[in-house]
Amino acid sequence: MLSILPALLLALSVQASVLTLQSPRLVVTDSTGSQLRSEPLSLSHKVATPVQISGKDTLKVTFQVVDKDGKGVQPHQTFLRFYDEKTNEEGIQPIRVTPGGKAKFDLNLSKPPLSLPPTPNGDPLKVTLLIGSSLYDPLSVELFDLVLPRSQAAPEHPLESTFHPLPEIKHTFRAENKLPPKFISAVAAGVVLAPWAVLLGLWSQVAPKPSRLFSPSILPFILSLGAFEALLFRYWVGLQIGQVLLYGAILTVPTVFAGKQALSSIGNRRLGRK
Amino acid sequence: MPPKTTQASSVTPVNAFQSLYKAYSDNTSDRLKFIDAFLFFLMLSGIVQFAYCILVTNFPYNAFLAGFSSTVGQFVLAASLRSQVNPENKDEFKEVSPERAFADFALGSIVLHFFVYNFLG
Repeated sequence: MLSILPALLLALSVQASVLTLQSPRLVVTDSTGSQLRSEPLSLSHKVATPVQISGKDTLKVTFQVVDKDGKGVQPHQTFLRFYDEKTNEEGIQPIRVTPGGKAKFDLNLSKPPLSLPPTPNGDPLKVTLLIGSSLYDPLSVELFDLVLPRSQAAPEHPLESTFHPLPEIKHTFRAENKLPPKFISAVAAGVVLAPWAVLLGLWSQVAPKPSRLFSPSILPFILSLGAFEALLFRYWVGLQIGQVLLYGAILTVPTVFAGKQALSSIGNRRLGRK
Repeated sequence: MPPKTTQASSVTPVNAFQSLYKAYSDNTSDRLKFIDAFLFFLMLSGIVQFAYCILVTNFPYNAFLAGFSSTVGQFVLAASLRSQVNPENKDEFKEVSPERAFADFALGSIVLHFFVYNFLG
């Protein structure tokens, strides 16, 4: 303890609102209570040889937080951080500090605290003391390396698998439609058109003679029906559905009148009134 | 159109068809034959299109739908027109004059063609 006093005094003289530790010390005892190791800690350099505890050993760290006048201070936050550099696992252990600034931390390996990170490879943990207070500068001191017995590997986080890039999405598209060979298409077109020849042939034999197709009372109806078909053909070629409906609605009016006139004239003629 | 009575001894399939055809052509007016020819044409056309779809490809499926449904729809419309203008069915369609039937046919055809062109793509 006397060896670190100059360092403490030096630190105190450098910064006014700085906190420091008085008589920080680590003690390792075995299950029977006999001390295996006991040495003071330093704020300026960490303990050279790693602290190794095993079995039912107990690690005890004691210190007092003091200000520059050597008066005990209770900081707002005091933690020991255990950090494994290789696996990036860490554990934060809060430490209770009395109003007088005195603090004591016990690590009993028969009842290890939950905050200890897993050490599956037996790698040393860096033990850091973190002190925070609103009235003083923060303090972060690397105290020593701690070698713990091997533990089980860190459990995998339930969401761990979601933190990897997903496999690339590969879209599969339906195969391109294939046209049949030109020859088959031509033959099929001919076959599909063949019924027209049948129709025209039959009609040429049985068609009744259109007696009054071009009479002024019937022709408008025929023309308006033709106009409807032409409009629908134009729909196929390029009109929008709204235009077709509009023009169709307009075309309906003359068609209805022409149809009424044409059909009633035919009806009258059929019934022999005219 | 009642079939003509034939002697029982001559009823072979060929003769039956012959007599049926003869009775049809004798007893059916030209106007109805005109419609019948149209119906026959529609039937043939629909069968051919369907066979093409089954045997070769249905690739422009919308075109097949449009073509086939136009034949089927037009067949239905024409068949109903035929049954309504047939003088022998006069009693059944007392309030439907042939002119009214043709107006229905024209209206139905226009609506049908609208949908067909809609599908044609």
